[in-house]
Amino acid sequence: MFALSRSTVSLASRAALRRSFVVSQQAADKHTLVLVRHGESTWNLENKFTGWYDCPLSPKGHEEVKEAGQLLKKEGIKPDIAHTSLLQRAIRTLWHVLEQSELMWIPVQKAWQLNERHYGALQGLDKQETVDKFGKDQVLVWRRSYDVPPPTVDRSSPHHPDNDPRYAGFEFADEFTESLATTLDRVVPYWNESIVPQIKDGKTVMIAAHGNSLRALVKHLDGIDESTISELNIPTGTPLIYELDDNLKPIPQEGAIAPLQGRYLGDQDAIRARIEGVKNQTK
Amino acid sequence: MKFAISLLKIAALATTVSAFTSQNSFLGRAVRPAVSTPARSSSNSELCMKYTLVLVRHGESTWNNENKFTGWYDCPLSEKGEGEAREGGRLLKEQGFTFDKAYTSTLKRAIKTLWLCLEELDLMYIPIINNWRLNERHYGGLQGLNKQETVDKHGKDQVLIWRRSYDIPPPPCEESSVHYPGNDPMYRLVANEDLPFTESLKMTEERFLVEWSAILAPEILHGEKLLIAAHGNTLRALVKHLDDISADEICELNIPTGVPLVYELDENLKPIPHPDAIAPLKGRYLGNQAAIKERIGAVAAQTK
Repeated sequence: MFALSRSTVSLASRAALRRSFVVSQQAADKHTLVLVRHGESTWNLENKFTGWYDCPLSPKGHEEVKEAGQLLKKEGIKPDIAHTSLLQRAIRTLWHVLEQSELMWIPVQKAWQLNERHYGALQGLDKQETVDKFGKDQVLVWRRSYDVPPPTVDRSSPHHPDNDPRYAGFEFADEFTESLATTLDRVVPYWNESIVPQIKDGKTVMIAAHGNSLRALVKHLDGIDESTISELNIPTGTPLIYELDDNLKPIPQEGAIAPLQGRYLGDQDAIRARIEGVKNQTK
Repeated sequence: MKFAISLLKIAALATTVSAFTSQNSFLGRAVRPAVSTPARSSSNSELCMKYTLVLVRHGESTWNNENKFTGWYDCPLSEKGEGEAREGGRLLKEQGFTFDKAYTSTLKRAIKTLWLCLEELDLMYIPIINNWRLNERHYGGLQGLNKQETVDKHGKDQVLIWRRSYDIPPPPCEESSVHYPGNDPMYRLVANEDLPFTESLKMTEERFLVEWSAILAPEILHGEKLLIAAHGNTLRALVKHLDDISADEICELNIPTGVPLVYELDENLKPIPHPDAIAPLKGRYLGNQAAIKERIGAVAAQTK
C-alpha cells in the first residue's frame, strides 16, 4: 500500500488560498457580467422571422462565436456560471464560447425567459415577402414598435409553445405573441430572481441570448427609453462586458458605445459598422 | 404618414387587445413541471414500473490516442472521438430515445460527448448537470505518463496491478503537481478531504455512488429519463452496482467508447435483463453488435 502523505499545514493553507479566492470575489465592489448575442442562424441567412423557432447556427454563425470565446479568454474574463435560453442557436453559441475559453465545466442554466421574442403569426415568414404583403410601415411597426406585437398564433399552430415538449412545465396564453415590452416583462423577473442573487454572491455571470431578450436586459440595466431600445442593434457573437456596482448599476466603461454603458470586445470600427448593418434587413 | 402609422398601430393594437384581456397574461405561467411517466411493463403477470437509463462512455480522447494515463487530466476528444459521440447520438435519435436531464463529469471529453449526443437528439435544451463525482478514476502519479513506457519502466505485472486491480491505487501524485485537483480552480468548491491524490477503482466507486444514491437514483425513481455521459471507470462503478458484478470481473470489463448502453430498470432499480445484453451486463448496447463485441476485446490490448 502506498502511504498517502498529506501535510496538513500546507493543505490547510491551500484550502485557505482557494477559499480566499471565493471571498475576495464577494468583497469586490464591482461585478462582471458578460452578454453575448447568438451568432448568425440559418433563418437569419434566409431572412425569415424566427422568434421561438429552433433553427441552428449557420456555418458563419459557428465561426463568429468561436471568436467571441477567444476574445473572452484573451481578456482574462472567467465566468463562474452561465445562463441561456431553450433555443439551440443561443445554447450552441454558449457552448462554443465555453469551449474556447476552457470553461466547459461551469454550471449552465437554461430558461425560456431568455428566449428571443416570439414573433406570433409572422414566425416562419420571409421578411421581404411580409413587407411586400403588408407594407413596409406595418412590418416596421411589428418589428420595431416597443409594445405592439405581431398577430397571435393559437394552439393549432406548430409555433404555439404548448405544442413543444420543452415548454411542458409552463402554460401560455391561448393566443400567443410577444412585443419587446412583453419580452421585458418576462426577462427582468428572471434577471431579478435567478441572476441577481448569483451576482451579489460574487459570481461572474455570462448570458448567451437573443437580440430582443438582450435588448430587454440592457434597457433595464442602462435605463434606455422605449423608442431608443427599439432601434438598438446588438451585433451577433460579440461579447458585451458590463461592470456593475454593488447596487447592480453599470459602471460606464471606457469605449462604450451609447446608449450602452457596457463595452464590446473586439475590433471597434468593425463593431460600429455591424451595428449599422442590421437595420438593412427590411428596406 | 405619421397619422397613417398611428392608425396602423391602433388597428394592430385593437386586433390583439381582446386576446390580451381574455387571458391574464402572455407570460408563461409555471405549472407543476411535467415529468415523464415511466413505462408500465405488462410482460410480467403483475404490472411493474420500468425506468430507462442510458449511459455513454466518452469517445476517444487525444490522450487515449497517445496511449497516456489520463485520469483527471482534462484533454479533449480526438476527431474520431467526436465522430463516435455523434454516432451515439444518432443511434439514440433513430431509436426514438428522449431524455429529461443529463449528467456528466467536469472533464471536457465527457462534456463534449454529451453535447454532441444532445445535438444529434435535438435535445440541447435539457438541463445538464456537471459533477466531479462522475470524473474518471484519478491515476495519481501515473497521470501524464505513456502506458507502454510505464510498462517498460515498472514491468507489465506492476502496471497491470495498477490498471486492473480493484483496490490497489497507483502511486499518489505530489501535492505541488498540476495533477493534484487542489491546484485546479475547477475544484475550488469541493471539500479538501474529497480531493484525491490517487484512486483505485474501489475508491472511484465509493465516491461515485454518493452521487448515485443522493441524486441520480431518486431522480430516476421520480420518473426523470436520464442520460449519463461519463468515463470508463465511473461507468464500471455504476454497472458493477446495477448488475451486481464481482470485484474481479469488473476490473476486466471493457465498456466501448461512444456506444449508448441502455438499461431498463424495475421499481427497485434492478436491471431487467435484455436479450441482446452482453454478459456480465444486463443492459444492451445500441449499434452493430459484432463490431461492439470486437471493440470490447480491443481495450485490453493497450498494454501488452
